[in-house]
Amino acid sequence: MYDGPVQDLIDELGRLPGVGPKSAQRIAFYLLKLPKGDAQQLAAAIVEVKERIGFCDTCWNISESERCSLCSDPQRQTGSLCVVEEPKDVIALERAGFRGRYHVLQGALNPMEGIGPEQLRIRELMSRISDEEVQELILCTNPNIEGEATAMYLSRQLQPLGIKVTRIASGLPVGGDLEYADELTLGRALEGRRELQG
Amino acid sequence: MIIKRLWLTNFRNHDETDVELNDGTTLVVGLNGHGKTNLIEGLYLLSGARSFRGAKVDALVRSGHTSAYIRAEVENESRTSLIEIELTTQGRSKAQVNKQKVKRFRDLGDTVRAVVFSPDDLELIKGPPAIRRSLLDDTIAITNPEFRAVRTDLDHILRQRNNLLKQAKGRLSNDLETSLIIWNEQLVNAAELIGDTREEFIHQFGPSVADFYQQVAGRNDPVTLNIEADWRHTGLAEALVKSQDDEVRRGMTLVGPHRDDLLMLLNSLPSRSHASQGEQRSLALALRLATYLYIEKVSGDQPLVLLDDVFSELDETRARRLVECLPNSQIVLTSATGTVPEGVNPSQTLSLEEGQVCAP
Repeated sequence: MYDGPVQDLIDELGRLPGVGPKSAQRIAFYLLKLPKGDAQQLAAAIVEVKERIGFCDTCWNISESERCSLCSDPQRQTGSLCVVEEPKDVIALERAGFRGRYHVLQGALNPMEGIGPEQLRIRELMSRISDEEVQELILCTNPNIEGEATAMYLSRQLQPLGIKVTRIASGLPVGGDLEYADELTLGRALEGRRELQG
Repeated sequence: MIIKRLWLTNFRNHDETDVELNDGTTLVVGLNGHGKTNLIEGLYLLSGARSFRGAKVDALVRSGHTSAYIRAEVENESRTSLIEIELTTQGRSKAQVNKQKVKRFRDLGDTVRAVVFSPDDLELIKGPPAIRRSLLDDTIAITNPEFRAVRTDLDHILRQRNNLLKQAKGRLSNDLETSLIIWNEQLVNAAELIGDTREEFIHQFGPSVADFYQQVAGRNDPVTLNIEADWRHTGLAEALVKSQDDEVRRGMTLVGPHRDDLLMLLNSLPSRSHASQGEQRSLALALRLATYLYIEKVSGDQPLVLLDDVFSELDETRARRLVECLPNSQIVLTSATGTVPEGVNPSQTLSLEEGQVCAP
């Protein structure tokens, strides 16, 4: 529709998640108007992230070096290991104050997208458990069908090893109102109720 | 619950329809192809259901336009709400209640409840099992949000599991076996809940269908409803083990709630194959009447009753008996000839011509 390079840019932007053809076109025209320096900075940032960022050899989180800052931090507790799907989940748990170590699976079981156990960092997790002294494994995959399937798979694989495996709870958000909770979440919260010690 | 007013804009052959409805019976008269069923369809969509004619959005939007609008003023216990639906051929269709967006289309069912009787209802008896499954599931879902969610989950799990089986290309490897265990567990949890809920529902629904059948047919023939689901005897977990080899070979899930059927026995014989055309028609009517009664009972609200050209298919006595069974709720019925059986007393008549309401 547009001249070569403009259409190429629109097509490339359109392949990004959450960007449709209309947004791609809008971003492309914004970029066209950008001063050359700014555009080069953006291009350089994309190239740099691809060149410099890889995965940590231990926890498979994104990292600039072979061992990420979290894994090389001696202050972190070694006893508990939190298993998550994506690097962004690590950030979320860090904000929540978790001080143990992480393992990033880089996805969840999803046959529709061709993701089976071999595509996830499960083998690496197994060898970590025997190498490091892990006392508790906390399964923090998402509370959806794929996340639950992954948690179930892991707990089955880990059973023979005899370590403590826990699953993150699901229920009401803190500071929220009961009346705004959807019935499923509220049902789960009710199931997972606990006794108050008087 | 009463629909007070309905607007249809660029919906099928209605380009700008605005009708006021009262709480009694409205008779819609018009020649074939002038938009009677479309009006019924528009009213039915307000309940958050899909088109009862199985139409896609493209078919609902008037040709030459990109969006159709259905709007209605609904009175619920003397409170009025405005429902607005935008059906668009580009992007997602949207729905609002009192200018508040609803998350899922189906949630409209919390505001508007409707039961539709259509000439295609014979398919409920003669058609494939999927039609009967959705009759069951749609009716249960109206008042059971947990069931609604599990149903969505089940579809999702089945898609994942079927993909897994397909990828195996007929070979049962160790990897596949361990993965299957996980998906089986998920499937079993969702399936058992659906199975239990359906069974409980049939327990209430079955006798009510039998009752209405006898009233409509005017005979004391026994009717029994059962859910045909062999896996329920042993539990799905065991049934999956038994069918595993077959499933791997064929690359899909062969047992579970998605394969069940609603078996309707008339005089102890399957109605699908053994009942006469007239008996099948009476049974279809009984299913709809029982659906009405169920929704009324669990929601405490009288659903809107839509009768699309129903009487033309019935002989005089059965038409009369059906009229006797009809509830005292808001009713909209269509007729090409304008003649209705004795006992139906329309409180207003709308005349449709080329998708426009004219003075009768």
